[in-house]
Amino acid sequence: MASHAKNAQKFARLLFKLSVVDGAVSADRVAGAIEYVEKHNLANPVMVLKAYHRLVETELAKSLAVVEHAGAIQEATLAAIASAMTRKYGRTVTATSKPNPGLLAGLRVQVGDDIYESSVRGQLATLASSV
Amino acid sequence: MSTVLEQIEQQIAKLSNKAVKKNTGNIRTVADGVAKIDGLSDVMYNEMVQFPGGAIGIALNLEEDEVGCVILGDVSQLKEGDEVTTTGRLLSVPVGKALLGRTVDALGNPVDGKGPIDAKETFPVERIAPGVIVRKSVSQPLLTGIMAIDSMIPIGRGQRELIIGDRGTGKTTITIDTIINQAKINKVGLASGDKNFRPVYSIYVAVGQKNSNIVRTISALEAAGALEFTIIVAAPAADNAANQYIAPYAGAAMGEWFMENGMDALIVYDDLSKHAVAYRQISLILKRPSGREAYPGDVFYLHSRLLERAARLEGKGSLTALPIIETLAGDVSAYIPTNVISITDGQIFLETDLFNQGIRPAVSVGLSVSRVGSAAQIKATKQVGGKLKGELAQFRELAAFAQFGSDLDAKTKAQLDRGGRIVELFKQPAFSPQPIELQVAVLFAMQKGYFEPVDLKKVVEASSSLKTFFTTRKDALLAEVRTKGALDKDLEAKLLAACEEWKSSFSA
Repeated sequence: MASHAKNAQKFARLLFKLSVVDGAVSADRVAGAIEYVEKHNLANPVMVLKAYHRLVETELAKSLAVVEHAGAIQEATLAAIASAMTRKYGRTVTATSKPNPGLLAGLRVQVGDDIYESSVRGQLATLASSV
Repeated sequence: MSTVLEQIEQQIAKLSNKAVKKNTGNIRTVADGVAKIDGLSDVMYNEMVQFPGGAIGIALNLEEDEVGCVILGDVSQLKEGDEVTTTGRLLSVPVGKALLGRTVDALGNPVDGKGPIDAKETFPVERIAPGVIVRKSVSQPLLTGIMAIDSMIPIGRGQRELIIGDRGTGKTTITIDTIINQAKINKVGLASGDKNFRPVYSIYVAVGQKNSNIVRTISALEAAGALEFTIIVAAPAADNAANQYIAPYAGAAMGEWFMENGMDALIVYDDLSKHAVAYRQISLILKRPSGREAYPGDVFYLHSRLLERAARLEGKGSLTALPIIETLAGDVSAYIPTNVISITDGQIFLETDLFNQGIRPAVSVGLSVSRVGSAAQIKATKQVGGKLKGELAQFRELAAFAQFGSDLDAKTKAQLDRGGRIVELFKQPAFSPQPIELQVAVLFAMQKGYFEPVDLKKVVEASSSLKTFFTTRKDALLAEVRTKGALDKDLEAKLLAACEEWKSSFSA
């Protein structure tokens, strides 16, 4: 079982490497990879596709800034965040908004694994842990 | 009420409007105190990570697309998909004198119900051991109060002396005696007002032990008045393997604080066999390749990096380590015992047979050794006990040989007789360490033949009578031995006169 998972992971990584063109995931290559898995009789196609999906998802998240906000947000702010993140990470980062009233006020931006928190909820959590 | 409000106001004032950057990941699986996490791309090796609900983890496996963490604390609330964040800090524990007299867990949190600990500093749990330049050779004695050890297998400040033996042979008792003796010496030294006196603070790390045993140890230390100089780090058998793995390193960090601040400390690891087992459990769950006896490849490094942190530093203090290893059926050639024997500067081997014969402490003279040797002994002990180890080893050899025949020459008989008396003299009850000056007096009496007329079965009684005589009637003489630290002609004459006086009173 463990070796099946390892092989599936290995094969998914190979497919993922082939799906990246000039540092970005190519939609055509991804379609090609899925077609390959469909056509060829692989040992664990579901396991391979799940691992491949996670790799692609992680990679795409690095180029997407999810901006959570409590109130309304202007397009100009989103554009400013996108350009700041593009400069910071040295790759094209696009921004998308996601309303989250739980933040109370302020913003929370997620790019890949990194989170930039400037919200009232975050500050209250810091306060709660320090008192 | 107003203080609480003031505290909250102070914390609010510290808050800034700047965005805080966090590196996050999500739990993929949690099992047996180990979590596999997606993300955490910026995490460092051995970094603390924060789990929801206040649990803390340590990143131990940094793999291509996942991070393996051991979780310290309650894992029951964690579930798949929970967010985990990096802290940017290596695992640290509170250090300082505020911990003395307290019992803490592997993270330095109090578990004795005596309230919070007001520690001003923290030290990282994992640290690189001092290098060769800053080290100083071991030359100051660390007195255990056990006559057999102080006279034949002396321990020095900054030394690593392994205590090894089967279960129930008195390994923990030796270490508790040593801690109690440090407390006794500290009290006398601090009361004397001597500016050059250096107290020894003790740290007792309990790994994988029964809670009842830990309570018994604490009670023994408390009853002897030694708890005020001692920190107890408890990672009992009920704790998860991660806590048991971390506890010795946390104790070492607490000891290093004393050493770095020009003080002397003693640390007891009770015991490293269970520590190795806890590490094996973690490694197997983390799917690290296993080797001999299923231990991971770095099990030697696990103990070497811990014990190398014990040292005597130039211009600073010292940290003496007494690790304990439990053997199975006296097998010192097993994997973990041989590893730790090769790391330490000697070992005290305790034998089940001796213990069962009533020879307690059951120290096997032949297999025990201190690589520091007489460098860590005061001159008076060297003068009265220098040849004891050889004599006792010869006695054991002769005693084994004499079993085969009854016709023995007078010289052999005398050697056997003398050896038997030395063995009797070294018998000592638990939790009653003897001051070094009293040990010197008893050994002096033995060297001068004052126990020879005494019947072998009455040697223990005679020795106890001699000790009482010296402590009650020759206190000034004992104080002189303690302060001088060596026997000159004048002192020898006084000791001889005292022994004569005792002899007449004992026979009478």
